[in-house]
Amino acid sequence: MLDFFTIFSKGGIVLWCFEGVRGSFSGPVNALLRSVILQERGGSNSYNHDALTLKYKLDNQFELVFVVGYQNILTLTYVDKLIDDVHKEFRDKYRNQIQQNGALGLLNGSFDFQDDFNSLLSAAEKSGKTRPKDNMRPFEESEKSKKTVKSMIEKPGEKPKENNNKKNKSSKKENLAPEAITSNKAKVSAPASTGDKEELTSEEAMQRKREEFFKKRMKTGDKANKSPKPETQKEKGKQPRVWVQGASNTKELDYSKPTTNGSTEEVTVPDDDLEALRFRSGLMAGNPPDVEYGSSSEEEEDVPSVQTEAASSAAKSSAKKSAFGGMFGMLKGLVGAKSLTLEDMEPVLEKMKDHLIAKNVAADIAVQLCESVAKRLEGKVMGTFSTVTSAVKQALQESLVQILQPKRRVDVLRDVLESQRMRRPYVITFCGVNGVGKSTNLAKISFWLIENGYSVLIAACDTFRAGAVEQLRTHTRRLNSLHPPEKHNGRTMVQLYEKGYGKDAAGIAMEAISYARNQSFDVVLVDTAGRMQDNAPLMTALAKLITVNMPDLVLFVGEALVGNEAVDQLVKFNKALADHSMSEKPRLIDGIVLTKFDTIDDKVGAAISMTYITGQPIVFVGTGQTYCDLRSLNVKAVVAALMKA
Amino acid sequence: MAAAAVQESVSSQWLPDMDFIRQELGRQDPTVLSVLVALVVGLISLLIWRLLRGSQSRRRAILLVGLCDSGKTLLFSRLLTGNYWKTHTSISPNTAAYRAKNDKGSNFTLVDVPGHESLRLQFLEQYKTAVRAMIFVVDSSAFQRQVKEVAEFLYQILTDATLLQYSPPMLIACNKQDISMAKSAKLIQQQLEKELNTLRVTQSAAPSTLEGSDSPSTTQLGKKGKDFEFSQLPMKIEFLECSLRDSKEEEGDANLGNVEGWLAKLA
Repeated sequence: MLDFFTIFSKGGIVLWCFEGVRGSFSGPVNALLRSVILQERGGSNSYNHDALTLKYKLDNQFELVFVVGYQNILTLTYVDKLIDDVHKEFRDKYRNQIQQNGALGLLNGSFDFQDDFNSLLSAAEKSGKTRPKDNMRPFEESEKSKKTVKSMIEKPGEKPKENNNKKNKSSKKENLAPEAITSNKAKVSAPASTGDKEELTSEEAMQRKREEFFKKRMKTGDKANKSPKPETQKEKGKQPRVWVQGASNTKELDYSKPTTNGSTEEVTVPDDDLEALRFRSGLMAGNPPDVEYGSSSEEEEDVPSVQTEAASSAAKSSAKKSAFGGMFGMLKGLVGAKSLTLEDMEPVLEKMKDHLIAKNVAADIAVQLCESVAKRLEGKVMGTFSTVTSAVKQALQESLVQILQPKRRVDVLRDVLESQRMRRPYVITFCGVNGVGKSTNLAKISFWLIENGYSVLIAACDTFRAGAVEQLRTHTRRLNSLHPPEKHNGRTMVQLYEKGYGKDAAGIAMEAISYARNQSFDVVLVDTAGRMQDNAPLMTALAKLITVNMPDLVLFVGEALVGNEAVDQLVKFNKALADHSMSEKPRLIDGIVLTKFDTIDDKVGAAISMTYITGQPIVFVGTGQTYCDLRSLNVKAVVAALMKA
Repeated sequence: MAAAAVQESVSSQWLPDMDFIRQELGRQDPTVLSVLVALVVGLISLLIWRLLRGSQSRRRAILLVGLCDSGKTLLFSRLLTGNYWKTHTSISPNTAAYRAKNDKGSNFTLVDVPGHESLRLQFLEQYKTAVRAMIFVVDSSAFQRQVKEVAEFLYQILTDATLLQYSPPMLIACNKQDISMAKSAKLIQQQLEKELNTLRVTQSAAPSTLEGSDSPSTTQLGKKGKDFEFSQLPMKIEFLECSLRDSKEEEGDANLGNVEGWLAKLA
């Protein structure tokens, strides 16, 4: 059932693995590590890769990772339990080997875990198998199967009378055939393996039903000739009704025991209700309800805060105790046997979450980050003199650095050089919502490119907003006056490609690219119209532009002022690009331009939100209005600003 | 006489304090005890810290760096035990003591730095103050595809101010030579030189970083005006071919004798 189960150290050394299926599993495991654990998406513990579902567990104390994989069409209920069991067993068995001198201990150790694993697996599989059996009941055992058959006899009992003569003959003919079939089926089903039981039983049930149905038909057909029998059946059916009328009769009471029990229960329940009502009414008499309600809610609000205070004070006092208390506690503290628990971290994480939100990180992302940090720290043995707060802060800082660190190479100039060598223009498309500074930053980037000696063609694909083309024309004129052709061997460094308003943006972009190829421009910058992420027709148009023209780089321009909205914008832009592209591998956003960075002081959370959602790097940062105000992101500075109290 | 008198007075000055302490100890007052214990603990921790610092300043770390899937962790285990291990992407570094195979048997700390983009710089930062030597592992079979990434990472290492100060010797281990399409060390060196030459231009032209505390690395790689060559660098860089797997069977013998030899020469 399981495709694989692997146990490896966080350093990547596989200690033990079980392969249920032949073939390499390092691909999916590496994908899990890279796309979930290393990107701080560790909130949930499962991950889908192609046709596999992977579940994992981190042991932070011993620095181990447990990963199990199975086909995702299977729903294996026992997997979570299995991981926990294996984790416990493995940890207990090899505690010493793992703790001894780090990686060397791992490499020298031998981990014969196969037998233990097999027993755990078979136990887990058994527990998984018994459960569904309890849930599923064969059809014959259910009430319904009996009911339907009965109702089939009784209700149509009168109606078949008319059809009897016709059906009688036909059913007689049919009678022989089904019986032969059923006998065959019975023979087949008897030696069938247990695995196919469910299917066969349902078939059997069907068959049996059909059989009975035919038999009934036959009977009714036979009985139709002699009328009294169906009538007696009717009388039997009506017996209960007789009892209802004559309720005083003891015999009938005896006949219907369960109902009397039910009635007694019915009697008691209202009693409880009544008592409750009486109780409530007493309260109502005492105090006016709304005041009571208000005060109680206040109390409720107070209680947790008091509790947290108490908890924190308790923690403090315990810390004091360990400091002032006996030698033993201190030695213990020195050895560092404290391992972090979720309860310890909860207040600190809550504080960190609020801190992040105050720094303008989107709320969902702050929550996910904190969950991931908690998962990474749970069970970890703390350092000698570190407190919970410092440990959490450290871990959070590390994960923030990890998130902001670009996951792939971003070197626009290098790529421009490459496409220059291949004699084609390098195409960059800018997209984003209205008023975030697409055109302004496009101008800045073209200035930067010109400074580095690349010629730029600006494609005015904003054919919608009034003045968009004129704005770009002004930029072009200014840039050309800054870098006149005389300075660059008579080459015009920047040119505007425009086709006026109201035209199809994708078409203009395409024409611009072919024009740039003919005129041997190095870079084409495509300016698109700003659009809100909910505007479906405009999003479709953007997706079309990108699929048709296949730009080398799709930059999302977002302002650093944005808070929770960042999530929505990026998710919807990516979704639109994915939904409306025809190809198997859709072009998504490749990078982010973070604008208006000079306006936000130290509330730099948008940088985290945006990189976390897309997993794409922040390529440029806009910090002002002039052409030189273009920067690249300094991860350290941003993280420092984020962590600053 | 006078000196003795002074001493006596001093001791008499000290004595009441000692008496007081003894008294307090006799009473088993927790505060005094805890203060004493705290002092002792403070001293011990200072000592430990000193020791740690001392060992760090002695520069004993040999860093295994490189991109993901180039074979750093396997090299790590091969160097230590000689055995083959299955490995996955590392999410934390492996460290272990390593004894070089020479007469002196000098001790090093082998550090396997994770190769993932989001981790490598972070851990490089952590270990770079203690670095004695570096082994840069390259996947020769996928080199053509990864040349830009390899060059960029190498550029980051070669222009790092802290590393330049010490300029540790560096080995570029062209791994996976057992795969038939693997590039030779010579070709890898040529391509890397070419790529670093262009990177020199593009990286220095990149927009400056945000007002960070540390100024962007203005260090020029190699000699100005000349095409870049590894021989221009202050650190000694060697290229070696190795394979950590056997071409026929996965767990066969490795061919890393030259890497071990290079390590032995370090001492």
